[in-house]
Amino acid sequence: MVRVKPRLGAALLRLFTVQGSWNYDRMIGVGVGLAEEPLLRELRSGPDNGAAYRAAVARGARFFNSHPYLAGLAVGAAARAELDGAPPEQIERLRSALCGPLGAMGDRLVWTGWLPLLSAATLAALALGAGWWGVAAFLVIYNLGHVALRWWALRAGWAAGTQVVGALRNPVLQRALGAVVPAMALVFGFSLPLVTRALVRQFPLDLGIVCAAVAAVGLALLRWRPGRIASLWMGLGAVLLAAVGGWLWR
Amino acid sequence: MTHLEIGLLLAWGTLVGVDLVSVGQLMIARPIVAGTIAGLLLGDAASGIRLGLIFELFQFDILPFGAVRYPEYGPATIAAVAATHLMKRPDAWGIATGMGLVVAVVAGSSLHWLRELNARVVRRAAAALEAGDVRVLARVHLGGLARDAVRALVVTTLGLLTAWLVARDAAELPARVFSATAAASAGAALAAAVAGLLRLKGPRSNLRWLAAGLAGGMAVLWFA
Repeated sequence: MVRVKPRLGAALLRLFTVQGSWNYDRMIGVGVGLAEEPLLRELRSGPDNGAAYRAAVARGARFFNSHPYLAGLAVGAAARAELDGAPPEQIERLRSALCGPLGAMGDRLVWTGWLPLLSAATLAALALGAGWWGVAAFLVIYNLGHVALRWWALRAGWAAGTQVVGALRNPVLQRALGAVVPAMALVFGFSLPLVTRALVRQFPLDLGIVCAAVAAVGLALLRWRPGRIASLWMGLGAVLLAAVGGWLWR
Repeated sequence: MTHLEIGLLLAWGTLVGVDLVSVGQLMIARPIVAGTIAGLLLGDAASGIRLGLIFELFQFDILPFGAVRYPEYGPATIAAVAATHLMKRPDAWGIATGMGLVVAVVAGSSLHWLRELNARVVRRAAAALEAGDVRVLARVHLGGLARDAVRALVVTTLGLLTAWLVARDAAELPARVFSATAAASAGAALAAAVAGLLRLKGPRSNLRWLAAGLAGGMAVLWFA
């Protein structure tokens, strides 16, 4: 086994740009390969004149896709496996096996949990009169969780290597996965009346009725044909109809 | 707008554009952040927060999973804030929202074009990448970052140009158009947010948490 002083800091910094060359061929593979490279440098001094290093870098940059915040888990685990001398086929299988779980876990934890939860809390704060500091608080709190997750993922992958699946069973992570979506629903529910009131109170009765009618019809359309009718096009249609209606009704 | 304000908005829009996917994902690309800062840069924080709130509600209906294509609301929000500021009317945000939604479509399409361009670059460099050439790997990646920065700058520039055109031509519109579009955009944003929430909330058992939150929000409204 090769003993190395990990260059985890450099890998973490590179992970912040892991999607920088996102493409339909390798997804985030190129970014993952570049983030993994500092952890592989000890292989350069091997007796094979750097062939193992170049092969490991090439493997690292192949197709990969996952949630960007959890990509560090694969980066750390693959790099550790390379340094431990795991067979290339096993490392390829490890990378393939991590794509789905890291994507699903990150989507649930961040995109449908942590992010909308804090976003809804920020909207509630703004509706209650918070100014820019409410937005600043959102950025600080969100990124405390975000950076902690990236750092945990990289360290956990690096520590576990090919045994990385055990890291995904981390009890704190599992509890967070179970609690974050209900918490998001609670906070979103709380913010909805406050935001609605903040938006609607500036309108006289007739325009309040227009707003309510658009909301009701719009929601019905979006629920009736989910995926077929996008909220953006519904919104654009509503604004255009209102512009024509306002022109005729002047 | 002064030249300084335009320069600051272009710089901010570029940062917002690259934050969405390429660099950081610190969520400065969220409309509520992008709009509020744009408002502060223009000395019009109220418009920034209002447009940020409207587009944040639309954003709830977007889930950036995998390779899915979606509109980009960050630069769109900045353009909408600029348009509202230029129109100098408190009820101009409805028309600005409509304009911002169009900008969001174009910005979202530009992300798709960028990804196809990146794929072509990766295909051209495939042999060197398979040989483990670190310099080529870094060049491909940094090239992708640079292309996204250019994309974000172009999208923000187009957004601000559109805002200027809309503000110039909207001055002659009847007052009723401004107020009706404001009401419609608020309603549409609320519908998008609720539709998004119903998709995000997961299993039916989470409905009780949603109901508890709604009750809490209503109670605050009642007592406030």
